[in-house]
Amino acid sequence: MTAGRTSHAAKVLAGRLVLLFGVGGLWELAARTGVFPAAFIGQPSIFLPGLARMFIDGSIYGPILDTLSATALAFCIGGVLALASALLLTAVPILREIVQPFLDALNALPRVALVPLFIVWFGLGMTSKVISGVSLMYFILLFNTLAGARSVDPDHRGLARSLGLGSSQIFRQIVIPTAIPAIFAGLKLGLVYTLLGVVTAELIAGGKGLGSLVSYYSNTYDANGVFAVLVVLVAVSFALSTLMEKIEGRLMRWKQP
Amino acid sequence: MSVAAPGQEGIRIEAVSHRYGDVAILDGIRIESRPGQFIALIGPSGCGKTTLLDIMCGIRKHQSGNVLVGGRPPVEGRADTARMFARDALLPWRTASANIDFALKARRRPGNHDAITAQLLEDVGLTGFADNYPSQLSQGMRQRVALARTFSLESDFLFLDEPFGALDAQTKLVLQEKLLSLWERTRSTVVLVTHDLGEAIALADRVVVMTARPGRILADVPIDLPRPRSVSALQKTRAYHDLYAQLWDSLEQATASARLHPGGNA
Ligand SMILES: Nc1ncnc2c1ncn2[C@@H]1O[C@H](COP(=O)(O)OP(=O)(O)OP(=O)(O)O)[C@@H](O)[C@H]1O
Ligand SMILES: [Mg+2]
Repeated sequence: MTAGRTSHAAKVLAGRLVLLFGVGGLWELAARTGVFPAAFIGQPSIFLPGLARMFIDGSIYGPILDTLSATALAFCIGGVLALASALLLTAVPILREIVQPFLDALNALPRVALVPLFIVWFGLGMTSKVISGVSLMYFILLFNTLAGARSVDPDHRGLARSLGLGSSQIFRQIVIPTAIPAIFAGLKLGLVYTLLGVVTAELIAGGKGLGSLVSYYSNTYDANGVFAVLVVLVAVSFALSTLMEKIEGRLMRWKQP
Repeated sequence: MSVAAPGQEGIRIEAVSHRYGDVAILDGIRIESRPGQFIALIGPSGCGKTTLLDIMCGIRKHQSGNVLVGGRPPVEGRADTARMFARDALLPWRTASANIDFALKARRRPGNHDAITAQLLEDVGLTGFADNYPSQLSQGMRQRVALARTFSLESDFLFLDEPFGALDAQTKLVLQEKLLSLWERTRSTVVLVTHDLGEAIALADRVVVMTARPGRILADVPIDLPRPRSVSALQKTRAYHDLYAQLWDSLEQATASARLHPGGNA
């Protein structure tokens, strides 16, 4: 059984390595032979060492820290606001009914399109980046939480009522625990989108973050620089979602047998 | 609410009718029971059994007639009534013991909750599973936890809505025996809705048969089999099969036009 599992895991790993090096090799080949000009698509053999240099000379840490702190701030602010709003809207159903269409409209609005406005309103610095991240985080978590709170099993409600629990106890003991998995899904998704919001603002506004760096390299036609930073962005995003999954696994043992 | 001396009064349902909009669901229902009686309610699907149970629990207000449970009109959440659902209705984020504790706390039952919970889990044969989450239990085990939770309340009135409907025949038998042995001790007044004729006969003191919608009482058959009973032994006796045939005829009348889900094994 374990032997079978290890060999399966080995096959998956081998497959992934083949895919990674295959695509990387084709990329390198395309750039070298000039099928696609290296100036447009970059060249792994150049941007990967370049990436290593950024870490060795330490020039990448500042932008990483800048983007991460804006993301963390936006994640926390957006998260707290979303949970507070969800609490209010679930506790006061009439309020929810009133604002639902407006929430839907705001949610349908592509909020990255608002980033230039945020920059006009809040300047080129940290504030615009954070607001941009919050605008994505808030709606993702709010909608997830509201949907989660709505998915209460009628039998659970019936049980609680037959036990004589009042509505505030039902809210605390049934509705909130029911919503927890959806809240976690919202936090996980929201974190990645917060990063997206922050980087978008950095792309447009410049400044010090990773997005600003991407925008600097593309403005100077340095495709290798762009790809080096993109690799960092992928790694950051991946690390953040892995972190969330770890926390989720801890807190929701009951989900998995 | 004491185990030794159940309430002085049972259930009294007089001329209860109920409709949803234009559709008559219950029509002139009349059931009277002494305290400690085990009543099984059978009838075609949609004839209003759950509705009647809801009325007895106070979840739904009846539109005409009179209902007294233990001498008082039913009110939702009354401390002397307990309800059990067809699906286990366990809270998935609580372990088996925490699910029972949930009910004990909600009803503010005095005593050592850990001890009560451990005893009940033992009674339903789940010692060692106290810390398992529902997702780590089989369906039959989950329903056993639900049974333990229902009995943890030590209520004088139990309303069970097809509690074993979703189980296979073997598991069902085990749970019916568990239900009987728990009930032998508490002797609460029970109303058990079931589609399983065999289950009704094996467990109940009387079987009330309802007609298709609008539900009326078609037959009210006393089951004078000696107690304590063993469900599996009973199924091999002559008396059981005679009763089964008799009730089957009633049900056939009840469902002259409606569909029937007998579920039992003749
Ligand atoms: N809230 C409701 N509003 C309108 N009609 C309802 C409502 N609840 C139940 N009904 C209808 O009332 C009838 C009786 O329902 P009920 O659930 O009491 O039947 P039942 O005897 O328990 O059926 P089953 O054996 O299938 O569980 C059904 O026809 C159902 O469609
Ligand atoms: Mg029903």
